[in-house]
Amino acid sequence: MDKIIEFRNVSKTYDSGTHALNNASLEIEKGEFVFIVGASGAGKSTFLKLIMHEETPSRGTIMVNGINVTKLRRGKVPYLRRNMGIVFQDFRLIDKMTVYDNVAFAMRAIGSRPSAVKKRVPYILELVGLKNKANRRPSELSGGEQQRVSLARALVNNPAIIIADEPTGNIDPEMSFEIIELLSEINAQGTTILVVTHEHDLVRHFNKRVIEIEKGRVISDTKEDVEEMDLNFSTQELRFESDSPSLKEGE
Amino acid sequence: MRGLGYLIKEGLKNIWNNRIMSIASICVLVSCLVLTGSAVLFTLNVDKVVKSVEGSNETTFYLADNLSRVESVYIGRDIRKIKNVKEAEYCSKDKAIERYKKMLGEEIFERMNEDNPLPDAYIVKMKDIKKYKETVKEIMAIKGVSQVASRQETADRLAKIDGLVKTLSFWIVLALMIISLFIISNTIRATMHNRRFEISIMKSVGATNHFVRVPFVVEGMAIGLIAAVISTCGMIFLYDGIMNIVTSVIPFTAIPLSEVFLYMAGAFVVAGVLIGMVSGIISIRKYLRKEGNEILGW
Repeated sequence: MDKIIEFRNVSKTYDSGTHALNNASLEIEKGEFVFIVGASGAGKSTFLKLIMHEETPSRGTIMVNGINVTKLRRGKVPYLRRNMGIVFQDFRLIDKMTVYDNVAFAMRAIGSRPSAVKKRVPYILELVGLKNKANRRPSELSGGEQQRVSLARALVNNPAIIIADEPTGNIDPEMSFEIIELLSEINAQGTTILVVTHEHDLVRHFNKRVIEIEKGRVISDTKEDVEEMDLNFSTQELRFESDSPSLKEGE
Repeated sequence: MRGLGYLIKEGLKNIWNNRIMSIASICVLVSCLVLTGSAVLFTLNVDKVVKSVEGSNETTFYLADNLSRVESVYIGRDIRKIKNVKEAEYCSKDKAIERYKKMLGEEIFERMNEDNPLPDAYIVKMKDIKKYKETVKEIMAIKGVSQVASRQETADRLAKIDGLVKTLSFWIVLALMIISLFIISNTIRATMHNRRFEISIMKSVGATNHFVRVPFVVEGMAIGLIAAVISTCGMIFLYDGIMNIVTSVIPFTAIPLSEVFLYMAGAFVVAGVLIGMVSGIISIRKYLRKEGNEILGW
């Protein structure tokens, strides 16, 4: 399989002297679903920032989607980011805009044609189960729904990678499972998913690859099955069925 | 650029959303433009007066008090004898006061009763203006000629005032321009602070810096354009009003506004839009260098 993210001996030391990453090496292949776990301050956020080119490494090489982002020119960074959809812990939705406009905003920001926005946004909202709430403001929605809007925004430009930074940090456990389930559905259609979390229940429940970072080092990287917990939670109740329409539709 | 219409709309929305700061920016820019315009129009008018005074080739020589009519006539003959004198017209004190009454109105002279403080005079035209100084010297040497009211000197004095106005207005306008730039940049910075969330999202989804910049530059340009339109309208009222007052006191034909209106409006629009655009570019520069949470100040 093709590699979509590759870290080769990457170190990152901030100006303050903090060693956030220390000689980290890892590879993520296209279409993988990966949990990144670790305690606070372990280096998870730096790992994501380096992928998104919000930070540059002090040493080492980072390849994203075949591009050496270590040497990427400033003007090319936006085009790199168009391959990524970001989901934030705090949703980062604009409350003066409707749900529809929040999602459309991501398309408009990269200069998509109005006709393409009109076609794609309702489709993505349907995909995340929010078609009937398109005209609501984010503050009128529950935490789980807001995170689905954030996910819709991340998906709308059809990125190759979805990066979710603690996507379940601000929502209740039931909704958390729903969000990860939705990400799994998206992953099933070929999108690479990176989820940073420290919710072990979730990691154990979903049988995915887990990379653990501690003190800036990758201390474990496993694809082994994780133990499924006995939860009072039925995945059959989830809204998102595996036969949901293709992500590319509506483009 | 695709999506330009959307970005322009966003820029215009910014002005409304941030209206108090926008109004402040517009006011400062209007005062800057009106002052610049006034200084330029003043200078143009003074230049015109100076040229007409210089070109008129008329010098007034006042005669000493208590001269008899015959003495005045002899002085006139002596003046005409001078080689460079083309003509010398006698202007009695009565004739002079009549002239002033016509110019300034009867009311001012009512209190003077019969006491006319003006002296008799000769208005002299010269053949060769280059020999001005020598000719004045020769005329002043004639007994009974007491003073010279040289229009050349008036022109020189006007030119000096003009120079002073030019220098003063240059510094005032420069200061106001810097203040305008500062206030507009702050207005746009305030907009940016309110919209930092949107900027961070735009950057995270891959918006280019050009794309992020456009609404803020549009905001600056629109503020500049609004200020230019207000300044142009303001100048029309101001200029007509001021010139009506000035020409009633100092009789001269002011440059009609219609002659310079297009240039003035054009210059206002160009200057306003340019200042606004530069302010927009300056204020967003810092934000464009930031990434992710830095934009949000976290």
